[in-house]
Amino acid sequence: MSNPLHKKHDFIERSILSALAFLKDATMSEEYANRKGFLQSLDPRFKTISFLAFLVTAVSLKSAVLISPLYLSCLILALLSRIHLRNFLLRTLFFIPLFSLCIVLPTMFSVVTPGEPVWSFHVAWITGIITRPGLDGAVLFVVRIATSVSLVVLLSLTTRHSELLKVLRVFGVPQVFVMTVSMCYRYLYLFATMVENIFTAVKSRVGMVSHHRQGQSIVTWNIANTWNRTTQMSEEVYMAMLSRGYTGEPRLLSKFHATPKDWLWLLCAVVICAFLFYRGHTL
Amino acid sequence: MSGIIFEVKDVHYAYLGKFPALCGVDMTIRSGEKIAVIGANGTGKSTLLQLLDGLIFPDRGTVTAFGERLLEHSQDNEKAAHRFRQRVGLVFQNADIQLFCPSVREDIAFGPLQFGVAEDEVNRRILDVAEVLDIQHLLDRVPHQLSIGEKRRVAIASVLAIDPDVYLFDEPTAGLDPLTVRHIIDFIVNANQRGKTIITATHDLHIIGEIADTVYVFGRNKSIVRGGSSESVLNDRSLLETNNLIHMHRHHHDGREHVHQHLPLEPHD
Ligand SMILES: Nc1ncnc2c1ncn2[C@@H]1O[C@H](COP(=O)(O)OP(=O)(O)O)[C@@H](O)[C@H]1O
Ligand SMILES: [Mg+2]
Repeated sequence: MSNPLHKKHDFIERSILSALAFLKDATMSEEYANRKGFLQSLDPRFKTISFLAFLVTAVSLKSAVLISPLYLSCLILALLSRIHLRNFLLRTLFFIPLFSLCIVLPTMFSVVTPGEPVWSFHVAWITGIITRPGLDGAVLFVVRIATSVSLVVLLSLTTRHSELLKVLRVFGVPQVFVMTVSMCYRYLYLFATMVENIFTAVKSRVGMVSHHRQGQSIVTWNIANTWNRTTQMSEEVYMAMLSRGYTGEPRLLSKFHATPKDWLWLLCAVVICAFLFYRGHTL
Repeated sequence: MSGIIFEVKDVHYAYLGKFPALCGVDMTIRSGEKIAVIGANGTGKSTLLQLLDGLIFPDRGTVTAFGERLLEHSQDNEKAAHRFRQRVGLVFQNADIQLFCPSVREDIAFGPLQFGVAEDEVNRRILDVAEVLDIQHLLDRVPHQLSIGEKRRVAIASVLAIDPDVYLFDEPTAGLDPLTVRHIIDFIVNANQRGKTIITATHDLHIIGEIADTVYVFGRNKSIVRGGSSESVLNDRSLLETNNLIHMHRHHHDGREHVHQHLPLEPHD
């Protein structure tokens, strides 16, 4: 059993399963949204508008020094909203490298951003030179991405998905579209669960045989089967909607309740953004 | 007995035109009756309930509800469709399918809102219904993340909020723990006592005595092999055995082997 090939397969299997579990947890869990903290207590409409304002500010400011207070605010807000700081950083860190590195790396080099060389190196016959403006640009970009990602993570962590979707409706997105998005999301969850179950099932069935060809064909068959089930399910869901009176345009609950606290928060957000914009122009 | 609610005459239905699911079914259901449709898996029980709920339509034969034929194009008229949907509620076999909203609260509200009930009234109904089914603590949860028993209760709540005259239950107790089964049976019996017509599809013989006065047995040929009072059907062992509704058990007692059937009316040792 201890041949290296087998170990490799085990490793891949475990990685896939844990990646899946992480994704499911990161995107589907509403644990933080159900806690009683500062951001959770705000009206989702006001929260979304203020976060959009922060996001626009973070993306349009051209100085890392001005953006960093926004990032700092994110951390403080996370603490006020009873979010485990380590967990929050992990989540943001998970997305930042994906975003920033692939976009930012090329701009650091003299080919893309010419200027005063900071550091040069030779790989085979290619000479790379990192330039001052290139490096500054990279730092700005990383701070900007870190802040934007933190804002998005913070908003989605502290708001139930159903409420975020409801906010879309308040902003005039058609209900059919919102309903479709929420169902896609649900299918995604079911799909992730199914893949998990299939993995476990295949493992228990193939386990002793340890012949991976066989395992693979079962997985392939199951994926096709899962797909069929998903399409059939959407037909049945449509029937379930019909059965309860759906006739083409869904009508859904819409009440939100804004408090003075929400207005105060919005005022703060607007003042902060306006100040940062003003500094950005006079600097 | 008062008026006829459903009249099913020589109904044939095949999925995609080639997988037969019902072959020549006749039944008459009157207001206030408690009916059970029993049969092994794949005998067409769910298909029948969907026909009665006007979700699919027979290839041959007719389904009449409240004196009007159920036809596909009668669904085009929103008023007529709503009138029918407010009177008949179906609790689907698969609660995952029935619950399609992002929160339990919205799922319960979905039916009444489609019918144009005002939001204040809807919110009041949500609380009432949640109390009846003991799901107050679940209102803000995501339906698909609940346990199967919780999902089933939410699914029933979503139909109860519509307050239909006729309830169609598709295997309401399958896979549930005894306490939840009890809760659901009580709900069904109670609804019937309030004058609701109940039609339940199941293969759980243990619950039939309570939830049905009349039982229709569906056979392998996808039609009714027998209809009658629940006692007469439950006491017909050979009927139940040939239709895969009871099975033989082999047990060891004091070193001796003996064979017996699983029967609904007597406790099983
Ligand atoms: N979507 C479908 N496509 C093709 N065949 C189906 C479909 N749904 C059900 N059937 C077939 O129709 C028959 C009756 O199914 P169903 O009404 O679900 O039975 P039951 O509810 O009694 O288990 C079965 O033979 C089944 O294979
Ligand atoms: Mg069925």
